[in-house]
Amino acid sequence: MKTANDGAGRILVIVPAYNEEGALAGSVASLLEYAPPADVLVVNDGSSDGTGRVARQLAVEHGRVRVVTLPVNSGIGAAVQTGLMYAGRHGYDLAVQFDADGQHDADYLAALCKPVEAGEVDLCIGSRFLDLSRAEFRSTPLRRLGIRFFSLLITLLCGVRVTDPTSGFRAYGRKAIELFSRTYPDDYPEPESVFWSARNGLRVAEVPVRMFERAGGVSSIRYLNTAYYMIKVTVAIVVDRLRSKEGLGE
Amino acid sequence: MNAELLMAICGGLVFVFTTYWVSRRQLRVKYALIWMFLACVILILGAFPKILMGLAAWARLSFPAAVLFIALGLIYLFCFSVSISLSRLHQRNLRLTQELALLEERLAEVEGR
Repeated sequence: MKTANDGAGRILVIVPAYNEEGALAGSVASLLEYAPPADVLVVNDGSSDGTGRVARQLAVEHGRVRVVTLPVNSGIGAAVQTGLMYAGRHGYDLAVQFDADGQHDADYLAALCKPVEAGEVDLCIGSRFLDLSRAEFRSTPLRRLGIRFFSLLITLLCGVRVTDPTSGFRAYGRKAIELFSRTYPDDYPEPESVFWSARNGLRVAEVPVRMFERAGGVSSIRYLNTAYYMIKVTVAIVVDRLRSKEGLGE
Repeated sequence: MNAELLMAICGGLVFVFTTYWVSRRQLRVKYALIWMFLACVILILGAFPKILMGLAAWARLSFPAAVLFIALGLIYLFCFSVSISLSRLHQRNLRLTQELALLEERLAEVEGR
């Protein structure tokens, strides 16, 4: 039986998975190869394919893997928040969000965690756009334009510069785990939560990472949804700017 | 006070009201967008009454009849979308209740009761 404090001093990698039966095993395997042992929590977001079966199999094979299944599909934000709640309750000091679709590179886990472990940063974002020396996959031109727009919007409204606000490869420190366990957007949460963090006194930083093209599944942002995504996130950020600050304070 | 000014005021009020409830986290942005869209429609029609008049002339309706038709159409659409959301919510709620009941039974079995 797990105790309430079994995660102290350890890292929890949260892997939100919605219909990712094809890519999940590979993503988790890459995480388990990562040298300093991190625990892995797969949050199966009410998948209708074999994701749950794959996840349970992984948990049986590896002692460091746990699975939480949401009975109904609740959105990426709700899945990540579930993982953060788990991290909080088990006393983890550091949680990392890592996509199941194979986009994220476990080699960068240590670099992503380092500023948070050092206690310098509360939310550390893995950015595709910080180290432009290597030619590699950086999303499609249209998507990059969207990312630019959010980056500009965030800088304009709170003065914090973030190059990759849509990145889902992020490390959360204690304070972020606690605050996001309370409130976190349930759909398209990344840019909004970055803005909220920057405005509410969380220390936000970025480290350069490499990302791959997705190995399986379909992006949750495509076609008609793109317009909705852009408008929804923009409105959410603008309204948040009008809100009074909600952070814990010092 | 004329109809245009009234519409502009109403549109503005809908905007402010919607933003207020979103900022209180009592209204999801997803649904707020619908209401902000409505506010924009009211504002545009208020600012350019010619649109509504043109529409009325095109449909061979009197001005009040055209306004009533559009208003009823919007009310129908909005109410219908609320019904659909409510049905989905009901479905999710039902599934959660069932899952909880099954889980409780399983827990009791594991605890050997």
